[in-house]
Amino acid sequence: MDKRIVYKNDEGGISIIVPADCGLTIEEIAAKDVPASKTYHIVDVADIPTDRTFRNAWEWQ
Amino acid sequence: MASIKLKGNTSGEITIDVPAVAGANTLTLPATTGNVVTDSATQTLTNKTLTTPNIDSAEFATVSGTAPLYAARAWVNFNGQGTVAIRQSGNVSSITDNGTGDYTVNFTTAMADADYTPIVLNAPGYGVSLPTVALANLNNSTFTEVTPTTSAFRVSIRTSGNAAYDAKYMYVAIFR
Repeated sequence: MDKRIVYKNDEGGISIIVPADCGLTIEEIAAKDVPASKTYHIVDVADIPTDRTFRNAWEWQ
Repeated sequence: MASIKLKGNTSGEITIDVPAVAGANTLTLPATTGNVVTDSATQTLTNKTLTTPNIDSAEFATVSGTAPLYAARAWVNFNGQGTVAIRQSGNVSSITDNGTGDYTVNFTTAMADADYTPIVLNAPGYGVSLPTVALANLNNSTFTEVTPTTSAFRVSIRTSGNAAYDAKYMYVAIFR
């Protein structure tokens, strides 16, 4: 799946959900796997940086 | 008790008995040529789908002994480096990349309880000088415990130098 689900986690960074090929839609996975009360965004995988050197410093803009 | 008796051309015969209880039950025979499976002898079923079977004690033909056999309830193989991606999985709806070397495995169908056993292996990508270890139920940012739930569990990777690390190969299996 070429989409990712992004939300701000409790540590102030961002968590990125990588969907599996499980028969659920990206929206269904978001509804199930994003923690309650968290606002999330569905983005293209190409929008996620591949250089993870400063991964814990990533922010949602 | 009523019964139907069929006699063959030779001395053999078969008797179909009606159970000695009240009620009208229907026994529908298949509309194809074949043999009826009974519980009286060992029989081979080929290419049959058993939907939610209740198997008391599974013994696979290639397994010796009668110790019970438990299959994995969920599994996933994913890459934690670069573009984090799932290679293959079963009963896993997603993984969550929480930060460096910090992942949550989310189950498609929840476990019966949170007392399952996760088996986790990681391979950092060889050429890396530091050995790595997978630590279950760990938030790698705060270094605090994350209680597993019926729907997800967390795993983190740290090096022998106690630094968070993205593993190239992550292998997870869940047994319950």
